[in-house]
Amino acid sequence: MEIADISYTSPKDFMTLGCGSLKNIVDQSFRPRHVNLLELEVEDLDYDRGIKANIADNKHLETVGLHPIVDDTPVFGIDTSSIELGETKDGVLCAVRGSVVWRYDNGHQYTRYGPFIFHITESNKRSLYNKLRQAYFGSRDEVSAPSLWWMAGRIRNVLERWLQKLICHSCRDSLLLWDGSLTAWTFDSPVSVMSEMLHAARNRGNITLAFSKKTRLYVADRRIADLIDDREVPCLLKIDDAIRFQYGSNICFFGRVYAAKLAPGCFSFRLDIDREVPEEDGIHAVERLIGNDLVIESYPETLRLAHITTRFSASEVIGMQRYIAENYGVRIVGRPDVRQVLFGPYAGASTQGLEEKWTYDAYL
Amino acid sequence: MMHIYKIDGNTLQVVCCPPEDVRKGDYLLINDAAAKRGLIAQVVNTGYANIPGILEDILREPSTDQVMGEDLDPLEMKPYVNMIKDAKSFTCKIRSCVVNEMLDDDISWVPSRSTSRVEKLSDEKLIKMAGMGKYHSISVGTTKGGAGVSIDLASIDGKLNIITGKKETGKSHLSKLLVLGLISRGGICVVFDVNGEYTNLGYTSGGKKGPFYNKIIVLSPGENFKVTLKYAGLNVLLRTMTSVLDLPATSAWEFRRIWDHLKKNNMLSLERLGGAIQSVKNNYVQDALLRRYESLVSTGFFTDYTEEANTLEDVLKKVKMGGALIFNLQNLPPTFRRIIVEFLLNKFSQLLGRWVVRAVFLFAEEAHLYLRETYWDDVITRMRHLGVFTTFVTNQPDSIPEGVYRQADNIFLFNFTNENDLDIVSRATRVDVETVRVIARELPPHHCLMLGKAVENFPLIVKVNPLNAKTMGETRMFFTNL
Repeated sequence: MEIADISYTSPKDFMTLGCGSLKNIVDQSFRPRHVNLLELEVEDLDYDRGIKANIADNKHLETVGLHPIVDDTPVFGIDTSSIELGETKDGVLCAVRGSVVWRYDNGHQYTRYGPFIFHITESNKRSLYNKLRQAYFGSRDEVSAPSLWWMAGRIRNVLERWLQKLICHSCRDSLLLWDGSLTAWTFDSPVSVMSEMLHAARNRGNITLAFSKKTRLYVADRRIADLIDDREVPCLLKIDDAIRFQYGSNICFFGRVYAAKLAPGCFSFRLDIDREVPEEDGIHAVERLIGNDLVIESYPETLRLAHITTRFSASEVIGMQRYIAENYGVRIVGRPDVRQVLFGPYAGASTQGLEEKWTYDAYL
Repeated sequence: MMHIYKIDGNTLQVVCCPPEDVRKGDYLLINDAAAKRGLIAQVVNTGYANIPGILEDILREPSTDQVMGEDLDPLEMKPYVNMIKDAKSFTCKIRSCVVNEMLDDDISWVPSRSTSRVEKLSDEKLIKMAGMGKYHSISVGTTKGGAGVSIDLASIDGKLNIITGKKETGKSHLSKLLVLGLISRGGICVVFDVNGEYTNLGYTSGGKKGPFYNKIIVLSPGENFKVTLKYAGLNVLLRTMTSVLDLPATSAWEFRRIWDHLKKNNMLSLERLGGAIQSVKNNYVQDALLRRYESLVSTGFFTDYTEEANTLEDVLKKVKMGGALIFNLQNLPPTFRRIIVEFLLNKFSQLLGRWVVRAVFLFAEEAHLYLRETYWDDVITRMRHLGVFTTFVTNQPDSIPEGVYRQADNIFLFNFTNENDLDIVSRATRVDVETVRVIARELPPHHCLMLGKAVENFPLIVKVNPLNAKTMGETRMFFTNL
């Protein structure tokens, strides 16, 4: 499969299962999520699971200096997002979308998949989740579905894994940038799936790098970014042993873990490099990344664009709400906000998300 | 589809999604079936609906612009998102209420936001509902939607009109259209033509004699229009000398004495008047009278020869069945212009007072150039009652006193871009400020915003009809072969 083929491959089951789930909302009432003018951060179902690590001291931490290598290595970035669209009397409506961005002819190009809309209810969540896992993870064993509140994130995760798999099997001699980490969790990142994807990538000469924004790393209670002097950047701080020491018994690390500060500034990120790739090759891969991609605030531009193109805007949320109302004969109702009714002006502006979370708790 | 968003006073906000082709000046009908009533509102401003997060969308556009891409959008959501982004918001002013297809003035009620149906009101329907141009009317143009607009004679008969707008937007064109329309209906028009623009109104645009050729009489003061002292009369002449030529009261008294003496002895002529002034003993008075006398003589407007003299009565006879007297004031010195206008207004007042003529429609172009300040009030009050129905035409809205705007029955507003001009007009007209400020700024040439009785108080954007008449003045050009 070549790069161009990405555009011709679509996650058909997302479409089929999504549309199937929407059919049971016909003639129901629909309470759309509130989109606030001031609330630009509409992506409320961020599912990036980070690690909080506090390393006792930095005596054994090794800094690896980096020298940019310019060799036109292709760089691919993958990101996905999910968002809640509203509630029905049976459950929630959500949308997921994914994006692959790659450097092309000194510019960037993207293919965006979705949005795919799902109506998740207590009665369909299990079958929906297991069908998706079956279709994209090849998983035969049936697992229980999470609460409605977490379902959108789980569906998004399946889409992300599918996109990662697609790229791992499509590209050659490229750098593959994932959002998050190279760790395997029980349901959403099964060991077999992660292992197979990374194996496929390696077989085609690719090196997989995962950048995690959420991980908070501290060494002796100091932010790890503060330990790296701007004069040393670009560099990596090898924290693999320390992290594995803390989490190794619970989590399967497919990546060698570093703290990466690729450009001067106040940010550093956790960077996982495929563990099966020789350590030197992994470090060269980072050097090729900073030589071939724009890196601002230690974050690669390709991955940043993947995030931007996949993210839902408020107008898209309203557009999707209208699509549902028009195509499925859903009656839009505005259910009173409990906090507003009870507390009036004292309800506070930032409680919207919390209030909605509590609503979903009722389904548990 | 349009929905009421909010109502504040007589301002109505309408949200339109998917966007419809509604423009500034268009009318909307808000029909509340349950209340069996409707509101007629005019769109005075258009914009995008305030979609949450749209700023975020725009801000991130530049980064994605540099990224070529493809969307695999199986649900075809893009048109929905674009529709939301393009949702429009219309600011409207409530103009009237409709009950059983009839207009009603009660706009104190509020229609239902959830069940009211908002739709575009066609120009034809509005014109029909408002009853514009139902009876004897003059066709003036068409709306943007192509509906013909005629104004009832009753709406300009006995009324004060103002035509204003910046240069070369079509003010004089509309003025000429009204003149010819009135003539065709038997009206008598008097035009103070400062630019010589109306002098060829009797000819077609091809230069041939037009249908109103015999009804357009061009009078050039000092050339084919002269009067005797006797016809002018002491009162008119004395008023002209005091107001235009600033003759002091003592000298005016002496002038009256001389005039009475000459008249008593049947010796009233320019030559003898000059001789009598020369014999005044008081040098100051003599000098003051002599200078005014010479000013009057130099105009060439007064003559002792009855064969070359005219009277307004004679001229008016020629347009008894409808016509226009065009007083060509082009190239006349300012003082001469003011003398002529002063004379004519006084004389017309006398004639109207004696019912020599029933009424005249006066078209005064750039009146500030020849009308003294104290005359504005006279024109819009006393003279109107006598039968002088004035239409002021100007490109300097600040030249017309604010009180005149307030008294105006109809305002024909052409394009203005200057903030000060817009400010003056919007402050002074009886319609809301926003309507004037927003719509007038964007009017294309030959389009005017009609306000007042002519459009039954429904402000209407009208494209003025073309004229088959030679309308241009004789402007001297340097590059004649271009």
